This record gives sequence, structure tokens and C-alpha cells, in this order.
Amino acid sequence: MSTETDYKLDPVTLEVLKNAFVTIVDEMAEQILRTCHSFVIYCRDFSSALCDAQGNTVMQGSQDIAVHVGTLHLTAKAVIETFGEDIHEGDLFAINDPYSGGTHFNDVRIIRPIFHDGELIAFSHSNGHWADVGGSVPGSFDVSAKEHFAEGIRIPAVRIADRGTMRDDVVELIVSNTRVPSDAKGDLRAQAESTRVAEREILRLCEKYGGNTVVTAFEEVQDYVERLTRKRIGELPDGVWETEDYLDFDPAEGEGLVPVKVKLEIDGEELRYDLSGSHPAVATFLNSSFGTTFSGIVGGTKTFFPDVPLNSGFYRAIEVDAGEENSVINAAWPVAVTGFCSGGYEKVTNSVYELWSQVMPERAMACCFNLEYLLVGGRDARTDDRPVFMWYDWMVGGWGGRNGKDGANCTSPVFGVGLAVQPLEGQERLTPVLTTAHQIVPDSGGPGRFRGGVGVSKGGRLTEAEDAVMSYCCDRARSITWGIEGGLPSIPHGVWLRREGEDEAKFLGATFSNVDVGPGDVFTRPSAGGGGFGDPLERDPEAVVEDVADGYVTIERACIDYGVVVNEVDAELAEYELDADRTEQERKRIRDERAGWLKEDAEKVAERYRDGELDTMDAIRRHGVILDWGTGELFERTTEQFRAMLKRRAADHWNGG
Amino acid sequence: MTSVAVDVGGTFTDVCVLDDDSGDIRVAKVPSTSDPLEGVLAGVEEAGIDLSDVRLFSHGTTVATNALITRRFPPAAMVTTRDFRDVIEIRRGTRDDLWDAYKDVAPPYIRRRDRFEVTERVDFAGEVVAELAEDEVREVARLLKKREIETVAVCFINAFANPEHERRAAEILREELDGVSVTTSSEVLPEIFEHERFSTTVANAVLSPLVGGYVSRLADELEQRGYQGDLLLLHSGGGVMTPRTVEKLAVRLAASGIAAGAIASRHIAALCGHENAIGLDMGGTSTDISLVYEGEPKVTKEWSVEYGYPIRFPSIEVLTIGAGGGSLAWIDEAGSLRNGPQSAGADPGPASYGRGGEAPTNTDANLLLGRLGTELIGGGMELDRDAAEAAIRDKVADPLGLDPIDAAGAVIEVANANMADAVRLISIRKGYDPREFALVVFGGAGPLHGAALARELMIPTVIVPPNPGVTSALGCLLVDVRHDLSEMYSGKADEVDAGEVEEAFARLEKDAREMLDAEGIPEDRVRLTREIDMRYVGQWRALPIEVEAPLESLDPVVEAFHAEHEREHSYRREDSPVEVYQLNVRAVGETEKAELPSHDADGGDPEPTGRRKVVFQRGEDAVEAPVFARDDLPAGAAFEGPALIDQLDSTVLVPPGVKVEVDEWLNIRMQIEQEDES
Repeated sequence: MSTETDYKLDPVTLEVLKNAFVTIVDEMAEQILRTCHSFVIYCRDFSSALCDAQGNTVMQGSQDIAVHVGTLHLTAKAVIETFGEDIHEGDLFAINDPYSGGTHFNDVRIIRPIFHDGELIAFSHSNGHWADVGGSVPGSFDVSAKEHFAEGIRIPAVRIADRGTMRDDVVELIVSNTRVPSDAKGDLRAQAESTRVAEREILRLCEKYGGNTVVTAFEEVQDYVERLTRKRIGELPDGVWETEDYLDFDPAEGEGLVPVKVKLEIDGEELRYDLSGSHPAVATFLNSSFGTTFSGIVGGTKTFFPDVPLNSGFYRAIEVDAGEENSVINAAWPVAVTGFCSGGYEKVTNSVYELWSQVMPERAMACCFNLEYLLVGGRDARTDDRPVFMWYDWMVGGWGGRNGKDGANCTSPVFGVGLAVQPLEGQERLTPVLTTAHQIVPDSGGPGRFRGGVGVSKGGRLTEAEDAVMSYCCDRARSITWGIEGGLPSIPHGVWLRREGEDEAKFLGATFSNVDVGPGDVFTRPSAGGGGFGDPLERDPEAVVEDVADGYVTIERACIDYGVVVNEVDAELAEYELDADRTEQERKRIRDERAGWLKEDAEKVAERYRDGELDTMDAIRRHGVILDWGTGELFERTTEQFRAMLKRRAADHWNGG
Repeated sequence: MTSVAVDVGGTFTDVCVLDDDSGDIRVAKVPSTSDPLEGVLAGVEEAGIDLSDVRLFSHGTTVATNALITRRFPPAAMVTTRDFRDVIEIRRGTRDDLWDAYKDVAPPYIRRRDRFEVTERVDFAGEVVAELAEDEVREVARLLKKREIETVAVCFINAFANPEHERRAAEILREELDGVSVTTSSEVLPEIFEHERFSTTVANAVLSPLVGGYVSRLADELEQRGYQGDLLLLHSGGGVMTPRTVEKLAVRLAASGIAAGAIASRHIAALCGHENAIGLDMGGTSTDISLVYEGEPKVTKEWSVEYGYPIRFPSIEVLTIGAGGGSLAWIDEAGSLRNGPQSAGADPGPASYGRGGEAPTNTDANLLLGRLGTELIGGGMELDRDAAEAAIRDKVADPLGLDPIDAAGAVIEVANANMADAVRLISIRKGYDPREFALVVFGGAGPLHGAALARELMIPTVIVPPNPGVTSALGCLLVDVRHDLSEMYSGKADEVDAGEVEEAFARLEKDAREMLDAEGIPEDRVRLTREIDMRYVGQWRALPIEVEAPLESLDPVVEAFHAEHEREHSYRREDSPVEVYQLNVRAVGETEKAELPSHDADGGDPEPTGRRKVVFQRGEDAVEAPVFARDDLPAGAAFEGPALIDQLDSTVLVPPGVKVEVDEWLNIRMQIEQEDES
């Protein structure tokens, strides 16, 4: 069996080794899950990879978080660049540097070189999101950071084990800069162990097949994926597709949407992306560096090739020009980038979905809800030792409507659908926050012929908390999750806070940090639904009736958004029926008038909103008007941009209107 | 007297009858029916069973699994804490297919419109934050009656910490609703994490009337036909339960039957003196792999019938992969040779079946290599070698530039590698060294691949039971009554009062004894095992550590935890505090199990019935190998490969140099010498 092959492998050995590499990276994942400390990691915010001696990714975990895809080879290469020949058997390296291909500081990567017969043949690579890496706010997500210094410890490639001996001083330096050093050390340990699992398995393969064969397979598995990808691309029509999406605003400039531009070109077997013309970096931490922008492109593209394995072969088939240096999606040191996953990354990914929806209409999908992280951190006064607590929460939301199918309800974010939401019963044990609700938000799905999936809302009341602050990392309070092919937007993201003793909740927006909160304060926030697909007036009225029976859509909005008039037969039996005649009339009326609604004087719309005559959904879906949802103040420039967007994605696709 | 096992599958109902005196095994197969009861009775008839002569009737059924998948159950509703009715729809949010945005998670078992909310709330410690609004519960009861709901799940937040509100709500619902089945989450599964607890409870609620009804109808029918014992139902945890327990815990019948193969392989390995065994059940379309360590099958609580809806009862861990005799070999777009998971199924089946199948399968490759003969089922079926060769040539050999025999070897090599990867997942990945295990191979196709897999995985011994095709059904006859009870109990190990833990265990054990007593298990046949789930403070997953009774101190338990953590994960953290998380009691009522017949060794040398040219190793020439009939091999027979052993439902492949021995239970044992012992 152990025949040494000098160059090309036979197809059987290649298939066997390819599958073995998949097994190895998945085995790493299993190891992490069983021993990690950070709940963020436990909820699957981690990834594993096997890289070749040059740092190229040979295989990435089949259940990995999307946002890490396409970045792990960059940090492996950073280690090689830093240490060169000074890499030895038994060494371990750590890195979390977004300016060297990392994602954000919380994503700490542990990298182990693998040697066979004294020769470096591979790296095993474990990336885990530590719950805290220091910085100015618990959880290390400081929205207001303009430079990275407020965001926690930056670890360039460093050696944490030297020929088999842990460098405890270096490890201490790292974990001492976090709020819970024992958890950080536990995670580091779990990750180091997972890279060891990969080493053991690679060496087993070397024993069996010979080192040269395994190394050749590293290369050929990448070639295989590149060949497969190029072949698929070659079968598609050539062409150029362009779109733009927006971040909410740049505080340095005041109101106004911040464009991210994405151009896709298919030319034979070549696939090119060009992101030039995107807005300069914003004065918050929502920028993304090249690595994570590349990840958004890879993850977005991969969604349209779900069965192609992920490795550097796939990345080689994709050419990316990120455009001008220091744009919002090509940020460089020391611009803050920790919130990239809610900002630039997210916009790139949804843009890529939209572009491919035109190339492959049979797999089309509208925009999905925005990744959101809500953080409440402080001291837990329920016990005498008042430990630090972090209520660190993210939600599911709605995915975009699809061609022939409603969007998925209540699904993890595009950031990674393997990211599991946390059980509130676990959170209540660990933190002085009592969850007030975790439920679906009616009407949150963007109206469309195929409705966007519905989002949810979750909130809490602080009980015995001390010195607590709240931060929120999200976006799309203004650049509302959009529909395509005539479909409408969903609802804005953003947190509402009602102080103890006050009657009304205040709107805090979709990005803020370090807001003081205390016992009795109640907060909540919705997640957006997905955007709609196709003209909502063409939705099957019976599907709307079903949605009403289950409360995904209210009777009122069935009429406003879909022009479908539903009569209640017996709510106690959840029986509703369609009023076909009035539906026809209503749909005709909307068809005749809706173009005009989108041109109504925006300030007048804002006024009607402030008077309580219109609600948020009316303003967005009917009038394309964007306001401060708390005060009702009009964002004039934003509205102008949003209306142009609505025209392009919705109104232009409507028949007879 | 006889022992009877009836295993209802999707297509066939298998009946296995063991004569307790002679040890003879009789088998019958009838088509499964839409009311599975009819199939069971037809099978009993087909097998010629006199029910008054049956000592033990054991039953594995897909009734529960099918009901969940098809959503065919009576009108069901959920009553839950205000503002939390969507917990079971929100799930944990994840999707099993990470990249395919067109593949969705199945909808919840109870529609949103049938999920009702009432005001109530307790906190993490069980303190009441909002009182239960009893008038709201009565109002919900009125609506449920109006909607003609037949079964209700009551699921309140933090009910594991204080079940009082659930208990009271259930009481009111029972008062107001006659004949409606009411299930509470604190009764079904008093564990933390709302979605997991609610999901298990909801599955139990929707299954209760249906499965309970089926089981009691079957028990009645059997009794009328003369059966005097208890109907025993196989549950996912690898034990059986009586209809009495099914009434309360119908959800435990989900995935009934999947455990049977694991149980059978444990039993067979134990007969052969192996406490550690990997079971490999390879059929036509898939292979089920299970693992037994130190006499116990590996059990998991992380499973579901459908992705997203966990059922948190212990279930024997079985890994199923799409590799079987009928799995297709194919070349993908980038020129790589693949195997499965698509299968030619029973119709058209492999190309060599001559029923119009043109795609090459593992069966076709085995035929071409001479590993399979051209006759199957004792001459009952003829295989077409030319058709197999044509399929392999067209679809594999020509595209890869190989000759057909070499291509057939390649097909099998890829299939074996896939299976070996799967075995690695449940062994090496979990810290078990395959070299310490015996490989028990069964199912029609398993014995053809066993020796090669053992060599690949460095497993020293392969065991092929006497009737590979019905070994799985046989497993139903080899199990005990078993219940799994648990209670949340959390605290740091060095702060926990051992006396309190002892009391909690005593409570669980009392409940367990009562359950077994109600099922007629005499005291001397009751075995209770205690476990504490423990973890390092900060960790999320816990490891179960077995503890002695009575418990006097936690110190030895903590030490055992460190050791187990090191065995499973290769490291320990002596400096880190350890946490107690949950207490478990496993209650076993030993049943009188069927005994497999043993035979005296007969020293005679068996005579081959013929010879066949077989390619044992890809790239090597065919070797002429003797072919034995399994029925001709007496206990004590011993020889060395190369050889083939044909039997009605399977063929055993013995590579050159492998030593074969037939033991007193007529198992074939193969000793696999490893190429590299270093």
C-alpha cells in the first residue's frame, strides 16, 4: 500500500485522502466543542483548518462559521512571514490580528506546525471567538472606537510554545489582558488540543501513505476544487453585474447612507469581483479589512455552489479587487474593524447574494437580516463576590424571500448559520438579566410574492446588576433589509430602552456603546425579517390568509402590504377567510397609487409619523422614508438614497405601476 | 417456549423466532402496512408462531418516528409562558446545511396558531416572579376544547427549577378537559435549556395518544391470541419498556429499533470475550455503525428525529452513512471517483441484478472481483457478471483509463475508505483506540468488507455472527427493561454537600424502583446505576462519571472526572474547579433473555464446495480461493484464507493469511494480522 508517488496521485488515493482531510478538520471541531470555555465558541463561533506548508488552506471544517471562510490561510501565511525558518516541531503560535488577515480581535487563532521526518509539511489552525479580549467595554465590542486601541489586545503572530514547552509568560501576557483570564486560558488549551488532534491524524496518514503522497494530496485537493469551481463558472453565461448596498451612516459625516459597491464579472472560467468606489472608512468600528471582505465574497459565492468544498483552490478561482485603500471594506491599520461582521462584511455578502440571484435566478434570494450583538456587562450583585458578568446576546432573524419559496423564518445570521442562539435559561443563571420575551415579530417579513422570513424580538430587565453598561453592534436601522424583484423591505433594527420609573422607551439606534444601565431598566430589540421577493400584490391571497392564521402577518398589514382583505371567521378557532372582491379592489387601488406614495413629500410623511398617523412600516414600505424612529426626525439625504434604492429593487419591477 | 422479536421497518416487518430449547432461529419477512399492527400480526402468522407458547415478545417500531416525520398525529396544542410561545420555532436558529440557502429546517411539531400563552414566570432559582393566572389557564382550556385538541404540552420557562406552575396548570387542564392527554416539561425532562426541554415535551405530547393507542391495541391483540407475558417495546436507549411506561413517555419510542443492531453486536462480542466492540451493519443502501466500550453501548443525548427538534433522552449512538451494497460509484465533474451516498436501491438495484440498472454499485464491483459469486440467496437469484462489467467499464474504468478489474478494485477501496472514516469518527475522534476493539460485521454486505476495514483500522479481530441478515432483529431479544431518570443539581464540587446529593439520588432511585415495580420486575432483578455529569467550571459540555452508592464524599468522583477528561480529551486541569451539573440514574430491570445455542466443537476439516478466482488486493492478480458453505462449517472448524464463505443472506471474504475459526455459537472469527505492528 505504502507506495511512494512522486507527483500525481491516482484518483483513488486522492479521494481517500480528500475525505480523510475533511474528517480531520471536523474532528478538530468536535474536540473544541467538548472542551471550550467561552459560550460564544460553544455556540459554534469557531472554525478549523488544515493548511499546507505554504499556509494555503487544504481543507476547512464543513460546519464552520461563514465569516471565517477564506481568512485562515492569511493568518497561517502571517506566521510563516513572521517566523520564516524559525519554526520548529512542538511550536505553537497565536494570532488575532485583523491587519494580517484575522477577522477581529476576539477571534484568536492557534496555529501548530506539523513536521514529518523533520520537515515542515502542514499547519493545523484553530480559530475561536473568545468572549472577551479586553479593551474599553466588556466583550471588547466598542462601537465608538475609531482606532483599534480601544478594542482589546492585538496579538500579532507570536510563539506560545517553544519546541513542546508552553511559554507561560507569553500566555499570561495574553490572558491577563482579558476580563476572565481563566476562561481565556481554558479556550487556548482547548484550541491547542484540537490542533494536536489534527497533527496526530496527519502523521497517521503519512505513516500509511508516505509523507510525499500526503503533501502531494494537499496540493491536488486544492487543484481539484479549483478545477471543479472553474468548470462550473465556465458553464455560466459571461457578463457583468453590479449593485450597491449601504451601511447606515458615517458619524463623521452626519446622516446619509454609506455605499458599498460590488461588481461581478464572469469571463469564461474567470470570476472577478471589483469593489472600487466604495465609501471611505467610517468613524465607527463597522469597517472591514481586506481579509473579511474577501471572506464575505467567498461565503456569498459559496452559497450558490453549496456542494463545492472550501479550500484555497476555491479562493484561487476568485479574483478580488478591493479598490481604494482604506475604504469601508478595505480598511487598514489602525482603523477599528471589530464590528465588520455587522458592517462591511454583511453588506458585501448580501450584495453578492443579489448579484448571483441574477446569474442563477433559480437560487435567488433577497437580503437577510443584519447580524446583531447586544452586550450588557457589569457586576453581578446576586452573590457577595460580585463577579463580572456579560450578557452577550445575538438573535436569529428572517432570511430573504426566494424564487418560489418564502424566506426562512427565525434563522441564524449570514455571519454563519451554524451559530446557535443561547438558551435564556442558561443566561438567567449566569447573569442578573431576566428575559422579558423571545418571540416572533408579526409583519417583520418583507412583503413580497414570496415573503421574507420573520424576525424575532428578545429583551430583558436588569435585576441585581451593578456598574452595568450596554453596547450594541448592528446596522440597518436606516439601510433597511431590502427585497428584490419588486419585493419590499422588512423593519429597522435597533434597541429600545425603558428606564426604571419611566413610561416610555427610548430608541437608542442600531450601534452604540457604553450606555449606563441599572436595575429595573428594560430593553428590547427586534431582528429584521428578510426582504421580500417579487411584487407583494402578486402573492397568492390564500398564503396571506394562512400567514394571518398563524400570526406571521396581521390582518391590518395583510391589507396594507399585500392588498389582501382577510375576514375573521372565528379567531378562537384561528379561522379566517379571504374576501376576494375587496382584495381585488384594494390591489387595484394600491397598484394605481403606490408610485405616487413613494414620491410624497418626505417631511410631511415624517410629520404624520410623529402624529401617530403612520407607523414605521408605513413610512418605510409605502413611502420609502427613513426617520429617527424614536423622535420622528427626517433623514433627508438618507431618504433620497433609500428611495432610489427602492425604485431600483422594487418599483421598477412592478407591473402597471 | 419461544422468544419473538418483531422489527417494523419502512419497507419490511422482520420477525425473528428463537426456540428457547433447541436454539433454532426462524425468520419471516412480510411487507409493512399502513396500520403497522396488521403487519405485525401478519408476520406472526407468516412465521407460524403460537402466541400461547411465547415467553417473550419484543417489538421495535417506526410508528413514533414516522408520525413525527409525516406530522400525522391528533390535534395538539402547547401552553406556555406569556411571550415565549415561539421558543420551539426559534429553536437554536441553526440550519443543518450551512451553505444551501434553499434547504430549510422542518416546521415545528405544533403550529404557531395552536400555541397558547398564559401569565406566569419563575426565575432561574425557582422563585416566582409572576403568579400563574389560573383564570387564563381556564380560558385556554375552553379554547382547546373548542378546537377539539386531543393532547397538550405544558412548557413553562425555568420549570425545571420549580415545577409548581406547570403542575397546577396541568391540573386545571385535566379538570376542564376530559380525555385529553396533558404532558408537562418538568415531568418529561426536568432539565435546564428551554428549547431542548420544550422540544422533547412537545414530541412526547404529540406522540402520546397515537403511540399509546397503538401499543395498547397491540398488547390487547397479542393477549387475545394467547400471549401471557408483557409486550416489550424497544426504546432508543437500548432498553425495553412496557406499555404502561409508553403511556407517559411515548417519545422514548422515537428511533426505536435503531439500537437493536448495537445491542446485538454487544452481545455477540461479549460471547466472544470482547468488552469493546464496533458494530458494522451494512445493508443495501446504508451502513449503521455503533460502538460498545467496556460492555456498554455509547449513548448520546444529542439527537433528534428531524434537525432542530432535539429529543433529550439517552439514545444509543449510531452513525449512519450512505454506503451499502447498492451504493453507486461515480465520477464527479472534476474527475474524482466517488462512492454513494446515492444508491440503486432494491429497484432497479445493481447493474448485475439485470433489472435495468446501468450504474455500477459496490455489489457489481465485488462480483467483478470474484468476491461475490454469481449466485445469491442459495441460487435464488442469478447475478449478471457481464452487466456488472459493462457498467464498471462505462462509468468508471474508461473515464479513469483503468481496466475494469482495477476499476472495480478502486470502487471498493473508496467505499472501504469512507466506512473507515466513519468508524474513525465514532472511535478515534472520541478517544477510543480501534486496536482495543473487535469488529462485529453483519447485514447482508458487511461480511464482504469486514476484513479490509479491520486491516485499515488496525482492528485485530473480526466477528461474523451466524445469520448476518437478521442479526439486528435478534438484538430486540437481548435487552433489559431500562429507564433513565435525571435531576438538575448544580454547584462547585468542593462546595456541594455529599449528603444532599445522596438524598437526591435516593429520590431518583425511589422513583425508578416504583416504575420497575409497576412493570412487574422483581426486586432481585433491579440494577441501579448512578452517574454525575461534571465539567470544569466554565466549560459547556459535561462528562458523565459513574459513582458508587452510598455517596460519602465527592473527592473520588472529582478525581475520576479528571481521569475521564484526560482519557477523552488528552488533558486535565488540576488547577481548575470542577462543577456538578446533573444527576442521572439508570434503572435496569433484567429480563430473561434469549440465549443463543452453543455447539460442541467438531474437529473435522470442512470441505470446500468449489473454488473461485478472487482479486483480494487492487492491482494484484486474482487468486484461486476455496468456497465454503457456511452451513457446512461446524463449531471448531479452523482454516486460513484465502477463502470465501457463502451463506443464504451473505458472503464472508477471508483474505490470504487471515486465520478463521468457527466458535461454539457458530460465529466466524477472523484474526487480522497487521501489516505494520510498530
